[in-house]
Amino acid sequence: MKLFALALATLLPCLAAASDADSGKVLGSPSAPIRIEVFSDFECPACKALHEQLLPLIMRDYVIPGKVFLVSREFPLPMHAYSREAANYATAAARLGKYQQVADTLFLNQTTWEVNGKVWDTVADVLTPAEAKKVQLLAKDPSVLSEVQRDVDAGRAAGINQTPTMFVSRGTSRFPIAGATNYNLLRSLLDGLLK
Amino acid sequence: MVSSSRVFRAVVLALRVALGAVFVYAAWTKLRQPWELFAMSIDAYKVLPYWAVVVEARTLPWAELLIGLALMAGRWLRVSAGAASLLLLMFFVLMVRTYGKGMAIDCGCFGLGDPISPRTLLRDGSLLAGCLFLTWTSFRGRRRAA
Repeated sequence: MKLFALALATLLPCLAAASDADSGKVLGSPSAPIRIEVFSDFECPACKALHEQLLPLIMRDYVIPGKVFLVSREFPLPMHAYSREAANYATAAARLGKYQQVADTLFLNQTTWEVNGKVWDTVADVLTPAEAKKVQLLAKDPSVLSEVQRDVDAGRAAGINQTPTMFVSRGTSRFPIAGATNYNLLRSLLDGLLK
Repeated sequence: MVSSSRVFRAVVLALRVALGAVFVYAAWTKLRQPWELFAMSIDAYKVLPYWAVVVEARTLPWAELLIGLALMAGRWLRVSAGAASLLLLMFFVLMVRTYGKGMAIDCGCFGLGDPISPRTLLRDGSLLAGCLFLTWTSFRGRRRAA
């Protein structure tokens, strides 16, 4: 997570939204040759593993060197009671530039809030009182709710049937990768696309 | 009146060509994409070490292509039908095991986006039955010829 925070700080100046992505949910340079979109659900254990184990490696090897532009998308599954609420808070926090911090804490404490339902307490822990107030208001804002729904609709349209699902794109080629992924294979794929 | 043996031969021919086409299509869906994507599908089953995943991902689509072409052409029928049956039996056992364990993964049979479900089990089970029948007829034909 330190790596994530460091990367975020390093990349803040060059952060820019792609036309269809929330600027608070992207990492890296939009002009990077490869784009990876990650559709995840904050209550899904495989998404937690991807966020905590795989994404830091992708950040270190590809995003920070400017080879990959990373876009986070919400795909709360209906079977998870609190994942939509978590996605709303994270998307609201993205408006304040706090998406990564909120995503980190939601995944870190996933096993707690998915049982007790205290999603807000988990989110509020990483926000200042002023930010918390804004996020609480934004989480009910129709534009935030529709942004989450847009991600869900985009995922459904792309045929997503499980989380996490990544879409790796280079030019006109777009490859879906569903479920937990071996980093050696992903690295081989990305290196092949970069050649 | 058409004799029953001619009908039987026509059924076997149709089955052979259909199964061959399925194998060629399965190979094409894998070969048109980077091999790593098929390797990820194999790896998701969690039965092979990394090196074996790589070897299988790089060779299996070519084996499927050869088997499919041989079946469609009617060449080396006992070997191609036998190999197809063995492959499908292996896939089917793996898929039943994975489904039984409740693992939600793609089957990897025809490229991406094909999660293991009762539908995929029925489809692969039917293909396996067809291949076993074809294998039986190819050996039966040889015994009769002998």
